[in-house]
Amino acid sequence: MIAIDPLLEGRLLWTPLLIVILKVVVVFVIGLVSTIFMVNFERKMVSGLQNRIGPNRAGPRGIFQALADGIKSFFKEDLLPSRADRVVFRLAPFLSFVPAFLIWSVIPLGGEFGPNDDGTLKDGTVVWFGEVTRVQLADPPIGILVVLALSSIAVYGIMLAGWSSGSKYPLLGSVRASAQMVSYEAALGLSLAAVLLSAGTLSTASIVAQQDSFVNWNLVSTGIVPFIVFLIATTAELNRPPFDLVEAEQELVGGFNTEYSGIRFALFFLSEFMGVVTMSAVIVTLFFGGPQPLFLGDVNVLAFLGPLSGTAWFALKLLGFLYLFVWFRATLPRLRYDQLMDFGWKILIPVALGWFLLLAALREFSPDGTFADSLRVVVISLAVGAAAGGLFLLALRVAQNNRLEADETPPTREGVTT
Amino acid sequence: MSQYLPLVVLLALAVVFGILSFFASRLLAPRRPSSAKEAPYECGIVPSREPPERFPVSFYVVAMLFIMFDIEIIFLYPYAVNHSTLGFYGFWAILFFSVIFFATFVYEVARGGLDWGPMQRYRQLATDAAMVTPERTLASTVRRVGTEGREPESSSPSAA
Amino acid sequence: MNDATFLEYVVFFAAAVMILGGAVGVVAFRNPVHAALGLVLTLFGVAVQFVAMEAHFLAAVQIIVYAGAIVVLFLFVIMLLGVDRSIDLSIEPLNVQRPLAAIMSVGLLALIGAAIVQSRDALEINPGTGVDTATATGDNDANINQLATNLFGDHVFAFQLTSVLLIVAVVGTVLMTRKWPKGAEEPVEDVA
Repeated sequence: MIAIDPLLEGRLLWTPLLIVILKVVVVFVIGLVSTIFMVNFERKMVSGLQNRIGPNRAGPRGIFQALADGIKSFFKEDLLPSRADRVVFRLAPFLSFVPAFLIWSVIPLGGEFGPNDDGTLKDGTVVWFGEVTRVQLADPPIGILVVLALSSIAVYGIMLAGWSSGSKYPLLGSVRASAQMVSYEAALGLSLAAVLLSAGTLSTASIVAQQDSFVNWNLVSTGIVPFIVFLIATTAELNRPPFDLVEAEQELVGGFNTEYSGIRFALFFLSEFMGVVTMSAVIVTLFFGGPQPLFLGDVNVLAFLGPLSGTAWFALKLLGFLYLFVWFRATLPRLRYDQLMDFGWKILIPVALGWFLLLAALREFSPDGTFADSLRVVVISLAVGAAAGGLFLLALRVAQNNRLEADETPPTREGVTT
Repeated sequence: MSQYLPLVVLLALAVVFGILSFFASRLLAPRRPSSAKEAPYECGIVPSREPPERFPVSFYVVAMLFIMFDIEIIFLYPYAVNHSTLGFYGFWAILFFSVIFFATFVYEVARGGLDWGPMQRYRQLATDAAMVTPERTLASTVRRVGTEGREPESSSPSAA
Repeated sequence: MNDATFLEYVVFFAAAVMILGGAVGVVAFRNPVHAALGLVLTLFGVAVQFVAMEAHFLAAVQIIVYAGAIVVLFLFVIMLLGVDRSIDLSIEPLNVQRPLAAIMSVGLLALIGAAIVQSRDALEINPGTGVDTATATGDNDANINQLATNLFGDHVFAFQLTSVLLIVAVVGTVLMTRKWPKGAEEPVEDVA
């Protein structure tokens, strides 16, 4: 078991303190730069997928467009709506963008991996200025739960932004959004439990260190289903298309941030895009081995980058997910609200819970992974799962019948004279 | 406890960044508020109604169910992290817990606690067909509002 | 006083200010949403205290469950009912509630005072003894491991009882939000 970050053990001396401050500043800059990059990346990729040019004026190939937009927002009038709750209206952008920033602190961003000279595996620690540390801002004992806690705080930003605006569209958008985020947080938490079952630790550094080869990636060792649930739940949690009902422009103008302008709007925008990057990083950490290299045979193809190879692997994997989110946006049409809730509660959550129990049973009754044992567990689990599924379908049927009984009048379309 | 120090420092930095942005914006941005700008956004018309006061109770049900699931999930984590030392006893404990929990969930679903939106059945062909009769014209389907006191429209625009 | 205990005092007092400030806010704010935010502040302070006592998992649960789920439910209720504007808080539905609250707060104060007096000796024990803390063992998961062995070992019956508690909560929700079937004793408005 890997210990807590050795840098911060015992009394704090000046060198560790300086390293901490250095790390914080670097992570902060990475956070901002990657967000600006993401805005550009998304606009360019979407424009490519939609067969148009996209931003191409500010800088070569439009790379400064997002930066220019950000700077512009400083010069825009910052309005405070007359019916707004003044304190909460000012507080909401902070509640939205500070959690997005803080998620960076538990993500392993790099490190040294691969076999040591004596054949043991490196655990990702590096030596900076004579101190052993990790390429990760903090490795608190609750590790990955920090992410969960922060994403539950992020609900407040959206909820309070909509409420404090004192206007109907933001309020509708924020109530929708918070119910959606809360629903998919349950699915997110359940699929995370499957990862913890395989990892046996909460620390993100340990979760990464233990995924030392492709078959040990949690993507494979938890059997893909938790990854898919996690990916869908993350998309919904971020209010990204196809789950972007918060800002369903056709019905809600701009959703929870309709009344926000100037720099306050920019902070919401920043947190939205930073959320995409950080949650992609969380997916990479949990399921794809974070900065662990993917060995081709015995060769780490990025080994020529030396100490930066871990970071390069991480960035490469991250980029794949950033593209995936953009691809979702360009491809999938938006869900209707009842479809969204049904999908989250009636499909994702039962599937995630069932899969967790199946994995637990497999580990308990077939610890060696022999085929006969595993087969027996899978067959019994399938039978139990089928019974549970049947019960669930029956419940859906009962609900449907109750509704039919309660309301037999066919709908009348108001205002229609036939 | 010092493991959280970097988190606190980053938190402070993020908050300072936000506050400095506000100050920069205050220095750089124009401030010319007017009552029209500060009115709630209503797509251009004068806001007439207060924001809706009440929402469907389904939102409350969702929040309540979420508390349940959150507690279930929180109990799953210690088991998941520690399943190798807990052994069969832990497995049966968590299985029993999950079964009770699932039964509760099924009950909630059966009582229609998670039903949103209209039922599929409502899409009847007869109603749909009634939408495209020759009797349905613009005058019979669209109610004009806000025309009181206005000049009646001239019958042909070219007359002007 | 060395650096470590000084730091502990700083954290303790900062968290205590958060807890008390939030608690006063919950009572004093006239706007229910502001009061709910005060409650969040209090819960955060408690989470910080948990961290200071090396109960890391509990701190995470405190934020995820209380701040992330329960106060969200409160806020939903406040927003859904629109009580933030329409209800006059000066009307008291129960006349006895003020004296009752006074009696209960005095009782609680006495209880806490008695507990402090009783446990003065216990304060002599060094912090962290008897508990596997992350800093003592150098193991990140010491805390959650200990919790798991307790939860699924000694207290497994209590653990199963919580699921019964959850059933009660769900049945209550269903009954309150029930859609009455046709022909039941529902106060029917004009159906036609």
